[in-house]
Amino acid sequence: MALVYSVYFVCVRCIERLMENMLEALCLDRAFGSVHALDQFTLVAESGEIVGLVGHNGAGKTTFANVVSGILRPDGGRIRVNGKAPRAARRLLGLAPQHLALYPTVTPRETLRLFGGLYGLRRRDLALAIDETAESLRLTGFLDRRVGVLSGGQQRRVQAAAAMVHRPSLLLLDEPTAGVDPGTRRSLLEAVRARAEQGTAVVYTTHYLPELTELGASIAVARHGRVIARGGASEVLGDLPGEVRLSFDDEEVRVPTTDPAATLARILTSTARPVRGVDLRQPTLDDLYRAVAHAD
Amino acid sequence: MRTDTARRLALLVRHNTVLRLRDPGHLVSYLVMPMVLMLVFSPLYQAALPDGGRAQAVIGMLVMFSVLSLSVVGTALLTERTWRTWNRLRASPASVVEMLVGKALPVFVLLVLQQGLLLLFGSRVVGMPVTGTFALILLSVCVWSFALLAVGVALAGFVRSHGELAAVSDVGALAVSALGGALAPISMMPAWAQALAPLSPGHWAMAMLGAAVAGDTGTALRAALVLVLVGVAAGALACVRVNRGFGDLRG
Repeated sequence: MALVYSVYFVCVRCIERLMENMLEALCLDRAFGSVHALDQFTLVAESGEIVGLVGHNGAGKTTFANVVSGILRPDGGRIRVNGKAPRAARRLLGLAPQHLALYPTVTPRETLRLFGGLYGLRRRDLALAIDETAESLRLTGFLDRRVGVLSGGQQRRVQAAAAMVHRPSLLLLDEPTAGVDPGTRRSLLEAVRARAEQGTAVVYTTHYLPELTELGASIAVARHGRVIARGGASEVLGDLPGEVRLSFDDEEVRVPTTDPAATLARILTSTARPVRGVDLRQPTLDDLYRAVAHAD
Repeated sequence: MRTDTARRLALLVRHNTVLRLRDPGHLVSYLVMPMVLMLVFSPLYQAALPDGGRAQAVIGMLVMFSVLSLSVVGTALLTERTWRTWNRLRASPASVVEMLVGKALPVFVLLVLQQGLLLLFGSRVVGMPVTGTFALILLSVCVWSFALLAVGVALAGFVRSHGELAAVSDVGALAVSALGGALAPISMMPAWAQALAPLSPGHWAMAMLGAAVAGDTGTALRAALVLVLVGVAAGALACVRVNRGFGDLRG
C-alpha cells in the first residue's frame, strides 16, 4: 500500500511540475527615480507558449526582460522561472537584448562557444548545439568571420543564436527583428517557432505586430509599466473596432464597429441609397497597437 | 559547483585573452616606446646621477609607460559597456566576480609581461645593474601590476566614454609619473614637488622597483605594502561600482 501511495505522490508531483508555468512574473515594480518603468507588471507564460509582448516605447517591455533575466532587481513583486528565482534559474534562460550585445572582434562560432560554455554545455554537446543553432538560424556561411564585419541582419541572427544555443526553457527576445530584412525575419521566426514546438516558453517583444500572428502567439499589451490586456489574439482583439466601408455613387463612408457584419446589415436595412461597394475589415493587431498608442 | 566556476572562469579568461590579442596596438606601443626612450635618456640620466642613472632611466620609463597602460585596463572594461556585452554576461550563469577575474587576469598577465620585458631589456641592453633576487623583482612587478589593474578598473567604472578615459588616464599618468620621479629624479625636483611626491603611487612604484632591482628587500616591501593598500582601496571601489552594473538600464 505504501508503495502505491509513493508512486501516486511521485506521479502527482511530476504532473504538477509539468503543469507549472515556465514564467510567473507577478505584480513587478521597478522605478528609475520618479519614473515607474514597471508598475504591478504581471505576466505568466507556459512551456511551449509564445507570448507576444507589445506596447509603445517606454511601456516597460525592456525593463521587464532585464528584470526577468536578473540584470535588474525589481523593487517589488515576485518572479519564478520554472519555480526558481531568476538568479537560480539563469541556466534555464536565454536572452537576446533589444540592442546588439556582441563582441565585434570574435567570430559567431567563438561567440556561441562562449555562451554555450557559460551555460554548461561541453565538448561534443557544445559542438552539436553550435551546429544545430547555426543551421536553424542560417549562420553557417559566416560562422568563422568576425562579427564586426557582418551585416546588421547577420548580427541579429548571431545574437538570437547566442540566446538559443544552450536550449533554454525560457527565451526572452527583445525586438529580435528590429531593422532586419524579410529573409532574416523569416529565419528568426522559423527558429522561434521551432523552439516553442520543442517546449520552450518564449516572451517575444516586438513592434512588428503581424509577426505575432505568424508565430501564433498569445498577446500581452503593456502600457505605462503594466499589462493592460492579455489573452489569445481573438480575445484581445474582441473589443477593438473593425471597419465597414460603403461606397455610394458620390461618396465613401467608413463606420468603425466591433461587429462589422451586424453593422453592415443594420446600415443596409436603413439606407435607401444604392450601395456600389462593400468592404468589411476585421480588427487586426495593428488596430490594437494603434488603440494602445492612442489611449496613451 | 566549484568545477562549474572553474570552467566558466577558464572560458572567460580564454575569451578575454583572445579579445586582448586581437587588439594589441596599445600594448605593443607601450612596449616599444619605453625601450626607445630608455636608450635615448640613459646618457642624460647617467650624467645627472653617476650612481643610479641607468636604473633611473629604466625604472622611470617602466613606471611611466605602465601607468599609461591604465588606459588599456580601462578600455578592456569600457568596451564591454559600449558593446553592451557586460549586461549580456550578467544575464548568464557567470557571477560578477567570475566576470571581473576573467577580464582582469589576462590584462594582469600582459602587464607583468610588459614590465618583465622592459626590466630584461634594461638590464641586458641599457646595462642597468641588477643585484636583487628574481623572486623580489617578480613580487614587485606583480604588486605594481595589481595596483594598476585595480585603479584602471575603478577608473573604467566611473568614466562615461573612451574620450573621458583617454583624457583622465593621459593626464593622470603624466601627473603620477612626473610627481613620482619617473621623469626626473625626485632629488632634482623643487621642494614642494618633493613634499607632494609620496602622494603619487608612482613614487612608491619607483621606490619598490628600484629597491627590488638593487636588492633592498626592506624598502621594496614597505613600498609594496603601500601599493597593495592603494590597490585594495581601488579594487573595493571598482567592485562596488561594477556590481551595480555600471548604472541601471532603462527601457
